[in-house]
Amino acid sequence: MVVAAGSLAFQTFERAEAGIASLLREAEDAIAAVAGGFEELAKQTDGVLLLAGQIVACVEDERVRSMLPRVQSLGGAARVFIHERLQATAGVLEMVTAEARLLERLSQLTRAQRSIARETQTLSVLTNIEVARLGQLGVGFQYLARQLDEFSQSVAADTKQLALHTEERQTSLRDTQRRFTAGLPRIQKEFARIEADLEGALSKAAASQTELARAPEQFQGVVGEIASQIAGVVAAVQGHDITRQQLEHVRSGLLLILKKMEGLDELATEAASGQARIAAGLNIQVYQLRSVEATVDHWVAQIGECSQNILRIGASEVVAIGPAVLEQERELSSQLQRIEHLEEECEADSAEVRSTFDGLANLMQLVGEHVERSRTVRDRLQLLTFNSIVEASHLGSQADAILEISQCIKRISSDWSELTDRSAQVKEEILQLVEKTRGGMQTFSEGGDGALGMAQAETREGLKNLHIAAEFAASRAAEVEAAIARLQARVGVVDAARERLQACFNAIDGIRKEIEASPRQTAYAATQGLTRGDHAQVEEMFSASYTTEMEREVLRAALCGGPLPAMLQSLQGNSVELF
Amino acid sequence: MKQILTVDDSASIRQMVSFTLTKTGYVVTEAVDGRDGLSQCGRQKFDLIITDLNMPNLDGIQMIAAIRKLPGYAFTPILMLTTESQVEKKDAGRKAGATGWIVKPFNADQLIAVVLKLVK
Repeated sequence: MVVAAGSLAFQTFERAEAGIASLLREAEDAIAAVAGGFEELAKQTDGVLLLAGQIVACVEDERVRSMLPRVQSLGGAARVFIHERLQATAGVLEMVTAEARLLERLSQLTRAQRSIARETQTLSVLTNIEVARLGQLGVGFQYLARQLDEFSQSVAADTKQLALHTEERQTSLRDTQRRFTAGLPRIQKEFARIEADLEGALSKAAASQTELARAPEQFQGVVGEIASQIAGVVAAVQGHDITRQQLEHVRSGLLLILKKMEGLDELATEAASGQARIAAGLNIQVYQLRSVEATVDHWVAQIGECSQNILRIGASEVVAIGPAVLEQERELSSQLQRIEHLEEECEADSAEVRSTFDGLANLMQLVGEHVERSRTVRDRLQLLTFNSIVEASHLGSQADAILEISQCIKRISSDWSELTDRSAQVKEEILQLVEKTRGGMQTFSEGGDGALGMAQAETREGLKNLHIAAEFAASRAAEVEAAIARLQARVGVVDAARERLQACFNAIDGIRKEIEASPRQTAYAATQGLTRGDHAQVEEMFSASYTTEMEREVLRAALCGGPLPAMLQSLQGNSVELF
Repeated sequence: MKQILTVDDSASIRQMVSFTLTKTGYVVTEAVDGRDGLSQCGRQKFDLIITDLNMPNLDGIQMIAAIRKLPGYAFTPILMLTTESQVEKKDAGRKAGATGWIVKPFNADQLIAVVLKLVK
């Protein structure tokens, strides 16, 4: 039976061939629209990635990353400063208390000295009276009266000076002691608060640094993922070249079938075999069309997923980086200011402490000079005592009063010697106190704390860099937001291209169904009627023009009646093989 | 700037190649088939050619063989970008003078890396 060219099956296949030709023309435009849309998306995504990369680079820059170690160093130096300060301040209190006790002893000495001065003055008067009474005999004792008078005046003057200085010092020390006693708990409290706040600021800075590092990287990861998806769609679009060839070969196959149908032999076996080959050929075309449909469905799904993911991109975390860094900078600046303020307060105290220490050193010098003078006086007194006793003994009973005076001088000399020793003792103790306190005075030296100063300078420098980084991040984040908005605005265009693509290839469904339905109408044999020889012939007939492995696999599946081969997973594209 | 010629009868493939390489800084010229490609090579010197295999008028292998005879093109790198993956086709391409073979679709990053290496 020759199948007439005008038969239903023939017309069906003719329509199918024409339908595919029309689809191919439309598909080029649809694919070009998708390609164009994704090219634009790729450009814009690259732009977003570039900006995100700049933010990552900014956050990872050594000048920003070094902020935390600098602040930690500042915290450490501040802690050491605070502790040394507290210890030194307690030491100062001890020094002041000890000095106060020494001053009290000096006061006692000066009182005793005053008493001796008065007594000596009285002795001088008595001596003058006795000298006058003795007349010519008493001439030799006039010097004694003079000596006693001079001695009395000298001691009185020296004692007055020492007493005055001692009182001034005592008054000054009382003030210092009161201030330091009241101030120490306040200082301790303030220091403890500063330490706690600094600790808090450090923790926040550390957490913020971690957050800073995480956010842009995460964002970059998300956008990178989308860039990868876009690249996948772009690669898939390239795959249209395969589907285009597949469709062209289906057209060729249908034309070949139509030609075969026209030339079917009248002999039953030949006709049956020919019909089986035609049916197999049709099945192959149906499989190829299914393969194209599956590919296009996958593209459409990929494009849809990519669009959705683009719409889901949010830049809020990246946008928050600039303000977060600025906040960190403000917080750290505030801590820095507190430390600087603390240093200023400490400097005021330091000046007072240095003055107190200088006062102690002056006192030591004064007492030292006093002890020297006291020793001189002691020696003179001893000489005076000796001479007066000798002279008195020469005069015998006439000089009994002088002798009595001499005995008084001797007693005074003894008392004075004791006072001298006690003064020397006080001087020694003052010296020891000065030595003991000198080491602690380093803390209050005018040069300031080297380590803290350096840490502050480095932190200030770091904060400047942080501020610059924050401004940079904020400006880039604003650009990122704008870039994402532009990217998301393109999604509509891409979705329209996707729908156009889908609509274009939807025609395949109708074409395929028509072809599938037609063998029943024409009552052709099923492919099970193919012999092994027919298999090979059919394969050779229809695969002659095939250029891809995909088509050959689909053909083989069609001939075996197996499932469609897995779609090319070439989302990332193939690599270059160099000869 | 380095000049690249892309030869393919598929507009979308030419578009993809052009887009991939233009953003890397190359100047890309398009040709619609083998004859057009050969004609372009006669008019100007390209630093690299990327061509399809199955094209109307003059296929890729014939075009490569003809280009190799043009002055200045003896060592110009030529990459075949095709759906074909059979060994016989690759051998034919290599004999004609192809420098490399890419089965469609191409991996953009890889293509850029190879082009950077071939076109210095």
